[in-house]
Amino acid sequence: MRAKVPPQVVRLLLLLVGIVGSYLTARYFLTPPSFRQYGWYRGEALIEMRARDKMYAGRKACEECHSDQVQKLAKHEHKNLACEGCHGPGDAHAQNPDVHIDKSSYAACLRCHEANPARPKWHKQIVVKTHYAGSKCTECHVPHAPSEVP
Amino acid sequence: MSQSLSRRSLLGKLSATLAGVLAAPAARTAKAAVQKVFVSSGAPKDYDPTKHKWVMAIDVNRCIGCGMCAEACKKENHVPEGPFYRTWIERYTITKPKPDSDGARGETIVDCPNGGMHGFPEPPVPKDQIQHSFFVPKLCNLCEHSPCVQVCPVGATFDAPDGAVLIDPKYCIGCGFCIQACPYGCRFLSPVTKTAEKCTLCYHRITRGLKPACVEVCPTQTRVFGDLKTAAPDDPIRQFYQNNRVQALKPHLGTEPRLFYAGIDKEVR
Repeated sequence: MRAKVPPQVVRLLLLLVGIVGSYLTARYFLTPPSFRQYGWYRGEALIEMRARDKMYAGRKACEECHSDQVQKLAKHEHKNLACEGCHGPGDAHAQNPDVHIDKSSYAACLRCHEANPARPKWHKQIVVKTHYAGSKCTECHVPHAPSEVP
Repeated sequence: MSQSLSRRSLLGKLSATLAGVLAAPAARTAKAAVQKVFVSSGAPKDYDPTKHKWVMAIDVNRCIGCGMCAEACKKENHVPEGPFYRTWIERYTITKPKPDSDGARGETIVDCPNGGMHGFPEPPVPKDQIQHSFFVPKLCNLCEHSPCVQVCPVGATFDAPDGAVLIDPKYCIGCGFCIQACPYGCRFLSPVTKTAEKCTLCYHRITRGLKPACVEVCPTQTRVFGDLKTAAPDDPIRQFYQNNRVQALKPHLGTEPRLFYAGIDKEVR
C-alpha cells in the first residue's frame, strides 16, 4: 500500500510550484538580453550612452578647414588652447559650414586674464582699470598671436 | 502499450504537445517584444569597453579658474539650467591667521558662484588678509569602490569596464539614494528626466576618440585625460603620475578614487 501524501502538503507543493513558476516566467520575459553582459546591469546601456550627439567637434575637426589659423596659433603663447574654448561649441558648424557659430558664445580675454588672487602667479594677468582705459583688447593684442602687435 | 493508453490520456497528451508547439514561438515573440523596450537602435558597435581604462587627473597648480570646463560640460551634456553641474570649480581662500593667534593658518572659505561657469568675482576677503588662494575643479572621482553603485536598489548605476561610472536612465527610478551616498556631491536629480545624473566622462566623446568636453576646452591643461590600458610612456597621463605627487579626495572613506589631484592643500575636501 502506497503512503498517501496528505492533501495540505500537496496544496503547499502546488502553491510553491506556482510561485516559482511565475517568478521564472517573469524573469524569462523581463530580463533584458544584455543584462549581465559585463556585470549586474544592462550592457546595452553603454551603447545607448555612446549614441548621443556631441556639441564640441574637437580641434582636429577645426584644423581640417582652418589649418592656416591653427598653424598661426601654434607659433605663439596660445598654442595649446582649444579653438572651441574661445569660439564656442562648433560641431554643428563642422558638420555644415553654412551654420555659423553664434558669436555671443565667444569667450572674452578677461575671462582668463583678469587679475584674481586665486590665479597662479605664472599666469599673465591684468588689472583692467590700470591696464588700459579703452574698450577693446584687440586694439593692441592679436588673440591668435598674443606677442604680435596688430 | 497502445492498449494501456486510454482515449482520455491520449487526447490529453496530444493537446499538451500541440499547446507546447504553439506556445514556444509565441513565447519567443512575446519575449522579443518585451525586450525590445530595453534594446537601443543602430548605435555603432565597434568599441570594446573591456580594452580601455579611462582616467582623469587634475593639476591644481595650473587651474586659472576661467570656468570654461564647467560651461562646456553644461553645453555638451545638456545639463539642466540652474544649480546642476557635472563638473564645477571651487575657489579655496585660506586667510592669514588672526594677529593675536599663534595658528599657522586662518579660516578656509570655499565659494563656487554658478559652479564657476562664468568666472569668479572679487575674493571674499580683502586681498591683504589672504594667505593663499587657489581653484579646485571637481567632478566624479571615479571610485574603485563606488558608494553610489553599492546603494542603487535597481542596478541602474554601475562601474563600466572602461572606468566610467554610469547611470542607465531606463532603469533609474529617481530614488536619490546615490545622491546621498556620493561623498563628493557629484550627482543630482535632473528636474527634466527625474533620474539621477552625473559625469559620464563624456562617454559619447571618449568612445569616438575625442577628449571629454572639459578637457578639450581647458586652456591650461589642468585636466589630463588618458587611457591607462593603451597609454604610451610619454602620454600626458603617464607624465602626470611621473612628475607629480598626487593625492585623492577624502581617502579615509575607502572609496579609492581613480581621480588624482596634484597640488591641493589639506583643506580641500
